Amino acid sequence: MGREVSESCVDSLLTEMVSSYCDRFYANKPDLAARRIEAIGFQVGLQLSERYTMERPRFSDHLEAIKFICKDFWSELFKKQIDNLKTNHRGTFVLQDNRFRWLARMSVDPSPENGDLSQDNPPAENKAAQATSMHLYFPCGIIRGALSNLGIPCAVTADISNLPACSFVVRIKA
Amino acid sequence: MIVCVAVVGHQNNPLYIQSFTEADDALKLHHIVHCSLDVVDERVNNPKKSGPTLNETFLGLLYPTENYKVYGYLTNTKVKFILVTTDLDVRDADVRNFFRRFHAAYVDAVSNPFHVPGKKITSRTFAERVSTIVKSFGLSSAG
Amino acid sequence: MANFLAQFHTIKNSSDHLVIAVEDVSDLWPIVKSEFEGRLPFKRASLNNKTRNSVSVENLTAEFILTTDSRLRSRFPLEQSLFWFREPYATVVLVTCEDLDEFRTILKPRLKLIVQNDEREWFIVFVSKAPPNNDQATKLAKKVYAKLEVEFSSKKRERCCKLDIQSPEANFWEDLESKIMESIRNTLDRRVQFYEDEIRKLSEQRLMPVWNFCNFFILKESLAFMFEMAHLFEDALREYDELELCYLETVNMTGKLRDFGGVDRGDDQAALLNPGSKPLTQIVQDDSFREFEFRQYLFSCQSKLLFKLKRAFEVASRGYSFIISFSKALALRESILPFCMREVWVITACLALINATASQYNDGPPDIEKEFYRLQGDLYSLCRVKFMRLAYLVGFGAEIERSPVNSALLSMLPWPKPAVWPLVPPDASSEVLVKEKIILQETPRVKHLGIQRKPLPLEPSLLLREANRRRASLSAGNMVEMFEGRPIFNDGSGSDASTKMSPSQKVRASSMSRTNSSPGGFESSIDRPMRLAEIYVAAEHALQHTISNTDLWKSLSSLEEYEKKYLELTKGAADNYHHSWWKRHGVVLDGEIAAVCFKHGNFDLAAKSYEKVCALYAGEGWQDLLAEVLPSLAECQKILNDQAGYLSSCVRLLSLDKGLFLTKEREAFQSEVLRLAHSEMKDPVPLDVSSLITFSGNPGPPLELCDGDPGTLSVTIWSGFPDDITLDSLSLTLMATYNGDEGVKALRCPSAIVLKPGRNIITLPLPPQKPGSYVLGVLTGQIGHLRFRSHSFSKGGPADSDDFMIYEKPTRPILKVFKPRALVDLTAAISSALLINEPQWVGIIVRPIDYSLKGAILHIDTGPGLKIEESHVIEMQSYVDLSQIAADMAKSDAAQKEGSLAVDKNFEQLRLHAGRIEFPNWANNVTSILWIPIRAISDGLARGSSSVSPLRQSIVDGMRTIALKLEFGVSHNQIFERTLAVHFTDPFQVSTRIADKCNDGTLLLQVMLQSEVKATLTINDAWLDLQDGFVHTTKGDGRPTSGFFPLVISPHSRAAILFSICLEMLNAEDEAKALRPESILNIKYGISGDRTTGAHPPVAVESPGPEGARQDLIFRSSLVLQRPVLDPCLAVGFLPLPSGGLRVGQLVSMEWRIERLKDFEENEVSKHNNEVLYEVGANSDNWMLAGRKRGHVSLSTKQGSRIVISILCMPLVAGYVRPPQLGLPEVDETNISCNPAGPHLVCVLPPALSSSFCIPA
Repeated sequence: MGREVSESCVDSLLTEMVSSYCDRFYANKPDLAARRIEAIGFQVGLQLSERYTMERPRFSDHLEAIKFICKDFWSELFKKQIDNLKTNHRGTFVLQDNRFRWLARMSVDPSPENGDLSQDNPPAENKAAQATSMHLYFPCGIIRGALSNLGIPCAVTADISNLPACSFVVRIKA
Repeated sequence: MIVCVAVVGHQNNPLYIQSFTEADDALKLHHIVHCSLDVVDERVNNPKKSGPTLNETFLGLLYPTENYKVYGYLTNTKVKFILVTTDLDVRDADVRNFFRRFHAAYVDAVSNPFHVPGKKITSRTFAERVSTIVKSFGLSSAG
Repeated sequence: MANFLAQFHTIKNSSDHLVIAVEDVSDLWPIVKSEFEGRLPFKRASLNNKTRNSVSVENLTAEFILTTDSRLRSRFPLEQSLFWFREPYATVVLVTCEDLDEFRTILKPRLKLIVQNDEREWFIVFVSKAPPNNDQATKLAKKVYAKLEVEFSSKKRERCCKLDIQSPEANFWEDLESKIMESIRNTLDRRVQFYEDEIRKLSEQRLMPVWNFCNFFILKESLAFMFEMAHLFEDALREYDELELCYLETVNMTGKLRDFGGVDRGDDQAALLNPGSKPLTQIVQDDSFREFEFRQYLFSCQSKLLFKLKRAFEVASRGYSFIISFSKALALRESILPFCMREVWVITACLALINATASQYNDGPPDIEKEFYRLQGDLYSLCRVKFMRLAYLVGFGAEIERSPVNSALLSMLPWPKPAVWPLVPPDASSEVLVKEKIILQETPRVKHLGIQRKPLPLEPSLLLREANRRRASLSAGNMVEMFEGRPIFNDGSGSDASTKMSPSQKVRASSMSRTNSSPGGFESSIDRPMRLAEIYVAAEHALQHTISNTDLWKSLSSLEEYEKKYLELTKGAADNYHHSWWKRHGVVLDGEIAAVCFKHGNFDLAAKSYEKVCALYAGEGWQDLLAEVLPSLAECQKILNDQAGYLSSCVRLLSLDKGLFLTKEREAFQSEVLRLAHSEMKDPVPLDVSSLITFSGNPGPPLELCDGDPGTLSVTIWSGFPDDITLDSLSLTLMATYNGDEGVKALRCPSAIVLKPGRNIITLPLPPQKPGSYVLGVLTGQIGHLRFRSHSFSKGGPADSDDFMIYEKPTRPILKVFKPRALVDLTAAISSALLINEPQWVGIIVRPIDYSLKGAILHIDTGPGLKIEESHVIEMQSYVDLSQIAADMAKSDAAQKEGSLAVDKNFEQLRLHAGRIEFPNWANNVTSILWIPIRAISDGLARGSSSVSPLRQSIVDGMRTIALKLEFGVSHNQIFERTLAVHFTDPFQVSTRIADKCNDGTLLLQVMLQSEVKATLTINDAWLDLQDGFVHTTKGDGRPTSGFFPLVISPHSRAAILFSICLEMLNAEDEAKALRPESILNIKYGISGDRTTGAHPPVAVESPGPEGARQDLIFRSSLVLQRPVLDPCLAVGFLPLPSGGLRVGQLVSMEWRIERLKDFEENEVSKHNNEVLYEVGANSDNWMLAGRKRGHVSLSTKQGSRIVISILCMPLVAGYVRPPQLGLPEVDETNISCNPAGPHLVCVLPPALSSSFCIPA
């Protein structure tokens, strides 16, 4: 229980995992690599949710579970809570972390910062965005794993239109 | 004395079931555990009955039978723990305590990266831990 | 007070409704009786409950009783207060009177007397018999009534009402009822108050030793009963509950051991629903309540009330827990109660409860209903268990299915532990023998397919020892030590004993008992441990004494009866469970029913139920339990000859966890499958073996093919069969992930294959597929007549694939077929022309575009005028780029010098076989270049030309084509065709002109050589074979001085050679013989070029010798020389231009004058000598010519005749431009002296502004 790992280790582990899947195992098959990374995240989330929901009453509805993710789960992972939670009350939740730790140390060429990522994307920007999104499959998987272990099947995507803020979009499968 | 403990997955599939009788009549305990799922379902599906302990993980006594007692515990992830004991007077506190420790053991077991979620728990460490917990059942609060 | 109990009991049973007293003062009752009683029972009444809240009750029954009635004669005050509830609740005083005096004198005092007792609630009904028409009488009546009211009614309470018999007012009866109600209410309140005070008093001194429960009980129950009479059932119930509570407390609290009861005949039949089963006097003896009866009594009262409240459900639920707790109580008293009293009681209690509640229950809300059915189910199954236990004790144990459910229920519930185990009656030896026989006869039922399972225990361990110990402990103590070895639990622990108990090994059991007897060394029969049979018999006899209910006893008397009852109970439980939440319980019990059906050969039903059970277990993956039931199902199906079902069952058995069956059992299953597969099946249905044979593509990236490529697909197949199994055929379907239009394709395994247990890797031939990506679909195959299919990808799959992390497992594409694209490219390596008529290397660059050229074959087909030097090898080498190629060209040259080619591994010599070349392996993926020796043939000499009218030979006649066809791909299915154009040419282009004419008639013939190739040409020698009419001036073969040679001509540059020749005098006979028409120029030259750029030294048939000895090439070209005229006969002069100069866009006429210098009779250069053909040539960009550019002008042959040719032309561009030239094509230029020659350039001025000019079209 009490064992702890230094944060930098986790960071480098993450980067190492992403790079080895993207560049070695599934070089030039990004979709496969993404799926695999997401799957790893899924299992991690599954197991973490098992641990972090110990000693707590069962959730009565989706919102409670999501709140759990935002508060306790997130602070277990990142020592901070999700900064902003939005929902359309129809099964879509947006969890925003204003300074997502795992992207905080990631250096992307400055172009994405000034926002015009969506418009013209020269290959450099594109690549940067792609690399970043590769790193996001893991947390997405974690969230999905945790939620589906709590009985909420869902799809999770991440949006990094303005780094280092990162918002995860959870769509609950009806 | 505890006759049997079991972990049942969220699809009511047995993940771990261990009986502590010398006789190899574990099958009947399988049966008891399996049938006790009826009660768990009932408790969960019509909350009216569960009343105040609506979302508490500890489900309490499932079966008021003459001799053996079946206790249930339902985690947040819809995993059920079932405890079958033949003690005639069991203190709730003991059972709760038991389940708490059991849950911890379970979580450690499934957090093993080599454990495939939803598959049977085969970890020997887990088994050993469980048996120690079972042995110490009731003693903790008694002594 | 206890002695009132009997009385109380009788009263309670006699009176169950309110009483209203009628004080009939003036004998009116007979008249009004009918109408009064017609009001009963009161439809609606509003009363106060215990908490003084008014509640409305319906159909309140009551009875009018005259005060003169014997039932109301006054009693002793004590019992009056005690049984107050039966006293009247209201008193109606019936009076009438026509006369005031009479009223005043007689009636009033009497009434005063009556109503003075304010214990009672009373009111007066004044009945006037006055006929309506007689208003005299009515008036009187009114008066009297008025008086009456004045006397008895107070303002706070209205105590009078008036009834006209003749014409009753409408509201009289309401008035009456309300008054009665008021009275009842008041009375009730007062009495409740009274009882409560009493009860409180009692319960305050509850802890004192003097305290007597009996009084408490009487008061409490009286109150309860009063409520009940007043239809205030809720309150009554509450009283009873409190009473029960209090009872349990006191009973358990006060240490004094009370008589428990339950020893009377018939006590075994539960009386928990009929209160009157026993008089209270029996229950209570000297103020000790016998728990056995009393608790049942209380419960029965409660249940009665509950039924009245229409709460049958509550009866059931309370009843169930009551039975459980009560049976515990019985267990404590087991030693004093008759043998198995507890079991019997529970059975009867359950049955009673079931019947009562089931009949009384009317549907409530759904969840309650489900709950109710669950309770019924529980009652049934509890009853069932107890019944089975009795059955076991009397020796039907062998008949009881040793299923998990029975084992769990029987072996884990407590078994009878009587103080003394019943003894075998002395005369029962015969029965013992019978039982012995039964035990011996009955054989352990063998499971189907030779599955061996240790039967589950039905009884707690040590039943046998128990029985003996209980006896022994009485007689001889040391039996106890002997058996105290282990603690006695009621669960199934103690395997050895339980196995010994299982009848199958009964013999050992009895022997055990015998050995047990020896150490004790008891001779006397009483101390000899009983054998099983004896225990049975003893139990049977004991039970016979216990059980008073004949039906129950009957159902234990014989096997058939037992089974009937058993079935009834089991069905009841199952059905009720099915209606409740507890589906699993229901289904499991269905399994038990199935077992019975099976035993009776009703396999159809059995199979149905078994299927349900299997479905339940399989659905939730409880394989251990499934493994228990499935064989039975299989057996049913086999007997029913349901082959499909039987097959699938066997397959399911095989696909269960390996650990659940022994290997040989599993092998038995497999052999069954095989047997069926090869037997004739009427309707062979495809069998789903998804759980048994699973498949997956090999891990890693999918196999990638190009369009049209066939391939072989290797697939991992997992077989769950215990040993090898032969599949007669096997095929896998491929499904396109997108473009679903083209459906699934089946890949067939060519031959029968044998699957080992576990992992197999098979390879399937893969015909060319359409572009797209494919996943594995379904595996189908055949074993014998059995067609099977499997849908599932291997889950227990290979550990090396980390797919297990993906939960919603995407079906991994296993094959990708790409869209058609260029796979290879063939281009010519040479950029410029090659030498014609010489063996030359033509290079072909073969560039595979990331596609392997393994085993590729190149067909070479040369076009017309081109042939391959079959004799020579073809060279192939890897090609990087030009510089690189140059480098290793040099290297390979060096290599050639050393005479070995094997320096560079990527260099190889190939031979052409019938126009085909096979590529070496190293060329699979690298770009390579292929050098083919060819020779372009062109017959006919190259033609030289005179410099005056240079004829350019067109590219076309130097063009040759090579048709290439490359076959490659996995099975040469890919074809690439290309036709390369190669350009050939002569080394030189030759043109001649007469450079100068000397006075001595020597002509200098200038031969200009234009190099046509990108290579350095070296002329070593050149000579001219002159045609007739010309001779070389210098005697000899007319070669230039050899000092010139070698003459080196660098690419595309030109050189010239001068020959000095002179005319040869012709004489007549010379003219007679044929003339050699043309003269031939011979050039001996060498070439040094690079084959990668173009022309190069011709291919040496074998490796040529040293550099010097390179043999020269000969180039021959024909020239035509014309005899020159020695002095010109025409002169052309250009007439001066107009002085104004030329302007763009300004017409100007240009004029030439042709003058005949001499007339030529003797020589005929041209046939028509009085005409001259002229031609004006001009650059059309600069000039626009009007008038005829070409034409004949007549010019007389006389010397000195002259003519002027003029042409209108217009300059188009400003600047110095070349003017148009006049030419005379028919006249050899040597005959023309153009002095002065026309100007080379003329100056054209830009156009004058504002002057328009026209642009050439």
